Amino acid sequence: MLDKTTSKIQYRVSSIENLAFKFVLFFSFNLLQSSVRWLEIISIAEGDREVLCKPSWSAVCFLLFFFWCTTATVVAEPIKIGEINPLTGRLAKQGLEIHQGVAVAVAEVNDRGGLNGRRVELISRDDQSQPDVAISRAEELCGWRKVVGLTGGYVDSLVGPISEVAKKYEVPYVASASLQKELSQDENPYFFRVAKLQGFIQPICNILSEQLRPRRLAILYAATPGSTEFAHGLEKCLHSRGIALHVMEKFRPGTPDFTPLIGKLASLNIDVIVSGGFSADHLLFVRQLKENRVSPKAYIGPFGIAYKSFIREMGENGEYLYSTCAWDPEITLPGTEKISEAFVERFRRMFQSEPNTTNMHGYTSTRVLLTAMGNVVGRDKALTGPNIRKALTELDLLLPMERVAFDKHGDPLHYQHLVVQIQNGRLQVVYPPDRATAAPIYPMPKWGERK
Amino acid sequence: MWTTVLVSGITLGSFYTLVALGFALIFGVTHTFNLAHGELIVFAGYVAYWMWKTYGVSLLLTFPAAILATLVLCLILQRLFSRLREPMEMNSIVLSFGLAILLQNGMLFFFSGDYRLIRVPLLNQRIHLPGLSLSYGQFTLLTISLLVLALTYVLLHHTYLGKALRATIQDRESAALAGINVRGMGILAFAIGAVLIGLAGPLFGSIHYLYPTAGLQATLIAVTITIFAGVGQIRTLILGGWILGFAESCTVVLLGASWRELVSAIMLLTLLALRPHGILGREEQ
Repeated sequence: MLDKTTSKIQYRVSSIENLAFKFVLFFSFNLLQSSVRWLEIISIAEGDREVLCKPSWSAVCFLLFFFWCTTATVVAEPIKIGEINPLTGRLAKQGLEIHQGVAVAVAEVNDRGGLNGRRVELISRDDQSQPDVAISRAEELCGWRKVVGLTGGYVDSLVGPISEVAKKYEVPYVASASLQKELSQDENPYFFRVAKLQGFIQPICNILSEQLRPRRLAILYAATPGSTEFAHGLEKCLHSRGIALHVMEKFRPGTPDFTPLIGKLASLNIDVIVSGGFSADHLLFVRQLKENRVSPKAYIGPFGIAYKSFIREMGENGEYLYSTCAWDPEITLPGTEKISEAFVERFRRMFQSEPNTTNMHGYTSTRVLLTAMGNVVGRDKALTGPNIRKALTELDLLLPMERVAFDKHGDPLHYQHLVVQIQNGRLQVVYPPDRATAAPIYPMPKWGERK
Repeated sequence: MWTTVLVSGITLGSFYTLVALGFALIFGVTHTFNLAHGELIVFAGYVAYWMWKTYGVSLLLTFPAAILATLVLCLILQRLFSRLREPMEMNSIVLSFGLAILLQNGMLFFFSGDYRLIRVPLLNQRIHLPGLSLSYGQFTLLTISLLVLALTYVLLHHTYLGKALRATIQDRESAALAGINVRGMGILAFAIGAVLIGLAGPLFGSIHYLYPTAGLQATLIAVTITIFAGVGQIRTLILGGWILGFAESCTVVLLGASWRELVSAIMLLTLLALRPHGILGREEQ
């Protein structure tokens, strides 16, 4: 009842906002005219109090009206949402990409007239790739700036602390890039995310067991929570499908030399390598595979390969590498081609560059939050945390990266990557068969046999 | 496989030494604990990358530009550090930490967060010697590192300037009493350090990858090797680099990649406990 009344007041305020704004413009013009007259009077009849008093009364009347009008517009302020990303520090690249996707989603909604006529204001904050800074930024946005929803976020170590603050203030948080299972198992009704680790594990497990069937498989993983969980999840899945694992090794991200590890893998006749490292690790590892003339039948890196920047930097050495991809300008969910094209076009216009899958994660999470908020105002309800949370749990939205609907933990129900392979400098979908754009090239040619 | 491990260990160790040499020299002479050392190497790498990418110059020709750029930057830093008061080590840590963040964000702004590599196809080719096979990349790294170390050794041990530098490293006050311009030696140490950083940067950009926060790793390497060798013990730096490189490579093969850092850390702690003055360092009387 209270929600409905508040919502109606807000709606009326927003509908009279335009009218009030016109009045303000009209009286501003009058004030300008009065001021000019006033200055003329002062300069002509200095000391004549009677003449001076007349325009001052009109000015007082105007000021009173002006304050009334501006007070009315303050009530109908834009809807504020917050975004916290690592814009500096070691995760700045990914954080900036998420931020760009978020900015596109907000611009898109505002260009359509906002939410029920109210503009959406995005307040961006930098967590400097540090969890303690992420907490203070979340406290600022939820406690002081009173945002109605939070989005953005890259990696669990930063998303986790933000989600706890969101829970405290009952502000719904739709995270852009968070994978660890543990994070969503913690009873937090205000935490939602558009990605999950199973979306990476399942397609790789499937292609390994159904198509590649390696004889001697190695799983390498980076010493990070997400990569470790990925490796153990994949091991469990492969074990259930009867595929034996011969090497399972952890390494530190940013390892300066993989030559000894490559030598070890070669001596064990490993034919398929799955590496949970990141872009820099793949760049170095694959180049050192070539230097040492070690040619596995397949090299699969779920994180950090399916990017145009990676393919560009890797050059011809990147050919035949496997990865996973949720979205790419050329790979979109069937039925979402128009939304995807609109996103790509707007992104190019705003940032003069090509979007990638990380940008799309930022866009998707923000679109989800804004759609839920739109549903709330569309039902004449107040934009409160519980109302937006409820709208998020009821959401079923088809977007280029995924069909978004959440389970009871706030995890996405349909987030699934595709297995891609770099062929002739382009990403080709090779699994699942119903989405495949090319047949997988397996085994990949030996280094010496390549052109 | 063991020859691969040996070659990998020595190559990695030589590069570690090159990375650490500039840091050790500056620290020894001026007591400046430069936490932005790695960022300076990455900066030099980016200068080389920019030259290579924009003007298509070869890797070898990028070295003078990288050296010049780091020389200018290091001399500005020297002016900043020279204004600090005692305790020099502590104050320089605070200042250089801020500088490191500034440099990281500057590089992020100008070069974005993308991974950059100075691609030289020849570096991927292999050289086959009797019983030994190594890539041109490893060969280049090893040759340049050893050459630079040899030249630095000659400079420090066979020239008057080098003797003055070593005297300043050993005891600043005595060196000043003997008529050595300690302040001038500080500027010289920064200049030589800049040349070494300018040489390490392009190599870093062609062997590893450049990204704005890659410098942290290089700084850690520099600090570790300096502790291994002993502060001011320039001669034993290469021994420290080789031991660390070889230990890391052996650990990966024998115990697994996850043990790599742990073994290095145990070695470092053991050394600090048993020989706090470095591998070959002598305790002060």
